[in-house]
Amino acid sequence: MAKYFDIDDILIEEEFVPVLFHKTANGVTIDLSAETSCVEQGAKVELPFWLAHELYLRQAVSINLPACFDQKTKLEIQADAACVDLRSRCPYFYEFGCKLEPLVTDRTIGILLSTAFKIRYKETLTKVYTAAHITASKFLPLLTKEETNLYEAAHLSMTEFKKWRVGGARFQRASILGRKRKETY
Amino acid sequence: MYGRKGYQLVKDFASGEKGQLKPFNSKLFDEAVEECDQNHHLIQSLIRKMQQEGLDVQNNRNADHYGALIHHLSLIRNKRCLMAYVYNRAEIVRDLAWRVGLELLDLPSEIQEKLTTLEKEYFKNHSVAIKSYMGKVGIELNVDMVPPKDPYIKVRVLDDIDDGIVLGDKITNFSRHSMHFVKRTDAEQYIARGQMEELTG
Repeated sequence: MAKYFDIDDILIEEEFVPVLFHKTANGVTIDLSAETSCVEQGAKVELPFWLAHELYLRQAVSINLPACFDQKTKLEIQADAACVDLRSRCPYFYEFGCKLEPLVTDRTIGILLSTAFKIRYKETLTKVYTAAHITASKFLPLLTKEETNLYEAAHLSMTEFKKWRVGGARFQRASILGRKRKETY
Repeated sequence: MYGRKGYQLVKDFASGEKGQLKPFNSKLFDEAVEECDQNHHLIQSLIRKMQQEGLDVQNNRNADHYGALIHHLSLIRNKRCLMAYVYNRAEIVRDLAWRVGLELLDLPSEIQEKLTTLEKEYFKNHSVAIKSYMGKVGIELNVDMVPPKDPYIKVRVLDDIDDGIVLGDKITNFSRHSMHFVKRTDAEQYIARGQMEELTG
């Protein structure tokens, strides 16, 4: 309930998971392969997480691992976690993984998430403090949404520190108004 | 169906820059509400069907029950998306009052255009609440957001500001590009709105 209004939380729960129906449900057009508007018992369909989760709690479905946690991704993460393009697989890889972990039978997700995060976090931080911001465009698209937030926080603290050391204008246009319009001289 | 429109609405909010307003997407908003109505009708028809078959709607777990459940969950989901959309916008509207200014007409016109009538109403009411609270405690809470070093600062005017603004006891002419040495608290709101910049050194 604490995250009821949280935009990111809503987006995380929209990720699709493959489920297996244990019950039949009438009057819904979820199973696109079925001819009638109902889901048969034993049908395999993809549902958004929020729906799959609630149905799982009522023992109507069982949840399988989505594609972003498949064997191939696991092997890639074991090889070199820092270079895996996680964003294209799932923009909320970690938080989605945490939500999914208690609902699936696979017990290795937790370890997978923590090892991947440890390696990638270290790599991200090193890059913030050493690489110039311009070269960041190469590895930024690989980062998940959570990692991007961390990267931006680190980058902001760096610029703030530099600004404090050099001195300069302390008042600024409220960021809430958006970027400045082009000056017309 | 199944929370699609609500998701699109939230996605629309998230696609903007963090903490900044986009125009209120009333089209998607209405479509999400419409989707809720459809879900509601389908739940009712499924429950009616169960009642006609003489089943106990509360405890029966047949196919119709699960169908109705899925519609119910979709409706709840859309509701959450709608609530989150309005709630997060309201948060930005409150931020505007605190950081930019308590008068609606002081906000830049491009921001005002993005607000709906109800959000403008909310902005005004929030401003009134802040003002009355500040009046009671006797402190201006929305100034000195950056800890002050000096009561006076040097500023340059970036934008045309209406003539005849009274600062202290004299009328000052803030023509574009002119420089002034003014009280921090007076300049603060103009800097926040991007009409002046602070000069240092």
